[in-house]
Amino acid sequence: MIKFNRICLSNGLRVLVHEDRSTPLVAMNILYDVGSRDEDPDNTGMAHLFEHLMFGGTASIPEFDRHLQIAGGENNAFTNPDITDYYITLPANNIETGFWLESDRMHSIDFSQKNLDIQKNVVIEEFNQRYLNQPYGDAMLLLRPLSYKVHPYRWPTIGMEIDHIRNTPLHKIKEFFYSHYAPDNAILTLTGNITTDYAFRLAEKWFGSIEKRFVTPRNLPAEPLQTEERILTAERDVPASALYKAWHIGPRLNSNFYTLDLITDLLAGGESGRLYTKLVREKKLFTEINAYITSDIDPGLVIFHGKTMKGIDIYKANDEVNNIILTLKEKQVPVPEMEKVKNKYESANIYSNTNILNKALNLAYYELLGNPDMINTEVDLYRNTDKAMVLEAAGKYFTDINCSTLFYKSIRDSSK
Amino acid sequence: MKKRSLIQPRIVPVDLGKIPDAKRISLQNNIPVLLIQAGTEDISRIEFTLSAGSVMENLPLLASTANMMLAEGTKNYTAVKLNKTLDFYGSFYNLFAERDRAGIVIYCLNKHLEKILGLASEILFHPVFPPDELKTLMKKRLSWYLINREKVNSLAMDQFFESIFGSSHPYGRKVIADDFNKIDNAALKDFHSGFYRPETLAIIVAGNIHENTVDLLDHYFGKVVSETIRPTVPGRIPERQKNRKVHIDKPGAVQTAIAIGSSTINKRHPDYPGLKVLNVVLGGYFGSRLMKNIREARGYTYGINSSVHSLDLSGYQIISAEVSKKNTQNAVEEIFKEISLLQRVPPENEELAVIKNYMLGEMVRMFDGPFAIAESFRSAWEFGLDNTYYYRLAEKIKSIESDEITSLAKTYYDIDELYEITAG
Repeated sequence: MIKFNRICLSNGLRVLVHEDRSTPLVAMNILYDVGSRDEDPDNTGMAHLFEHLMFGGTASIPEFDRHLQIAGGENNAFTNPDITDYYITLPANNIETGFWLESDRMHSIDFSQKNLDIQKNVVIEEFNQRYLNQPYGDAMLLLRPLSYKVHPYRWPTIGMEIDHIRNTPLHKIKEFFYSHYAPDNAILTLTGNITTDYAFRLAEKWFGSIEKRFVTPRNLPAEPLQTEERILTAERDVPASALYKAWHIGPRLNSNFYTLDLITDLLAGGESGRLYTKLVREKKLFTEINAYITSDIDPGLVIFHGKTMKGIDIYKANDEVNNIILTLKEKQVPVPEMEKVKNKYESANIYSNTNILNKALNLAYYELLGNPDMINTEVDLYRNTDKAMVLEAAGKYFTDINCSTLFYKSIRDSSK
Repeated sequence: MKKRSLIQPRIVPVDLGKIPDAKRISLQNNIPVLLIQAGTEDISRIEFTLSAGSVMENLPLLASTANMMLAEGTKNYTAVKLNKTLDFYGSFYNLFAERDRAGIVIYCLNKHLEKILGLASEILFHPVFPPDELKTLMKKRLSWYLINREKVNSLAMDQFFESIFGSSHPYGRKVIADDFNKIDNAALKDFHSGFYRPETLAIIVAGNIHENTVDLLDHYFGKVVSETIRPTVPGRIPERQKNRKVHIDKPGAVQTAIAIGSSTINKRHPDYPGLKVLNVVLGGYFGSRLMKNIREARGYTYGINSSVHSLDLSGYQIISAEVSKKNTQNAVEEIFKEISLLQRVPPENEELAVIKNYMLGEMVRMFDGPFAIAESFRSAWEFGLDNTYYYRLAEKIKSIESDEITSLAKTYYDIDELYEITAG
């Protein structure tokens, strides 16, 4: 049970605190309700590029990192389609330095052309390193626009193409800041060795004077219902062919979410998942295999991917994956297998909560979803999932017309 | 508009405080057990660590394959049944085979501890290495290997280790595709009986330690005896290669991976704590010289990092980055410039003050929570060291002065001794 307290400052900043006296540290997490889904289609990659610029200093504190390091702190950040998240851990007696730094860059940042130009290069190298210069690195860049035709989830967080990053003008960066970085668009969480009163007092002291910014309400185009099977074939100079599949599902708060998450665990959770047992161990079709739910706030995806063993026909491998899916739709999952995936979820949740940073992020995320109590209650929703719900959800979502398949074919494995 | 308070909060010097200590006991058969009570949840992290790393192998891939096959079928369980059972009890495990040591780390809920320890004893002492599972594993590993051949970073790292430790030593030997055909059931059984034995095992338990934890360990592991004589391993000494500069061509690569460094001292050497500080100045944190220059001033890379690692028979220091192809030469030159600067000009006290506090903060994080404590504890223990190593490190961080950084840079980053490996 994670106990927490919550207040909302007059400028709209929501603050949540969880005390954990077993650690000498405090974790501070600031979640901004902005991600790559909020980008202009002609200027993708902006949210992530902006995250880099947030470390570039302000007029009053030119070097963000240095002050944090002097205080013994460490920090980082990530951007995904839904959110941009900044996190810090500090020795408890220096936590006020975190408030000083984070409130300062929420208040304003220093937009210099020089810093922008350098960070564009850094992000372009990140694009190269993670997506272009890696075998299979571009697969998700292909699968997203196959699955989504309208909704901004169609482009990846890094950006649709390098030119979007290269061509971002400084004035757009400024607009982005004032339209998304605001106390009324952020959630601050503190976990660890800090009292609730002290945390609330510091929040008021440092963030209380930042003015509300009246963020433009989000109005994203809904993805139209997919009505026919989509197939894309890519040929690449890689050692083995790979298969990627994506099925549309509902939004994060849909009650089916828990069932679908457990279905991906039935399929690919641990070494004993069905896909691994049947298609890697028994039939030796794949060398690695995975299935997961994207957990996006707007309607997301269940994604499957696997790399085939040398010499295996990728279309045969695809048929075998479809057979495993078909079994889920036709035959009830045995009770012990249901218990297994629920137990595994529950224990993973406990292990994750041994870490104050995880707790800080999770609290902020559930607050964003609208109910921070979910940090404690969601496990019951997993527990209450039964085999009938699995059958129903599998039947509803795992259909051919709801599926996009990417055949990522090796030009070297010429037999296929 | 309300006025913003801009007065910077006072910073308190970071204090490591008392490091949680482990309670040491021995099982009936003398297996050492280290118990670390920590954390708020009723869980355990149990690490079984043995001297069964690749340094013990006489055939490439033998140590790692023996390790990866441990949970692929045992006397009483098929691979599928074993993994289903482990998953059913909500446990997670990682098999690991490093250069010096190998074993398994298991995370479990204490309510299932007894069951999990029973399974762990199956995995460690009763694997059967079924040929069919072995065949699958080797096919998988060959495929991963071929994928890694496509990554400039892997190409550079493999060459780096061969250059600094030599092609005949297990620390440096490169794997080739044919190695994946040479491992059989007999070789694995042989390696297992030789190196997975109580005399080389230690158990590190961290989390909420129950009264019966030790009794359970004794029940499952205290009675194990070795049935064979421990093989002697020829004491092979890593030998560096002559050629200091190697480029591996990877047609079509968008970036070049750079690996610059050399073999170095390990944790047992008195200079090691100072070398750790020097390394942080150079490339060990976000504000390091290399990050500021290569990433933040020039935008040549997404990240550049310098690190120092301890091995039983040696150690190594490595600077690594992936940079755009056209900037490779400039990046290499800038790296050498930064090293040379550290050898000539003592860092300003202000820079050193930042690093000192940052490193002390890192040390606090290294002992935060049962999992982190266990890992820190293990990485000293395997060199025959205990928490006094960490107190010594903390003391060195606090006391080191600029001149010592310069002198360490001259001793340990002699530019003529550094290897320069590029792949791309």
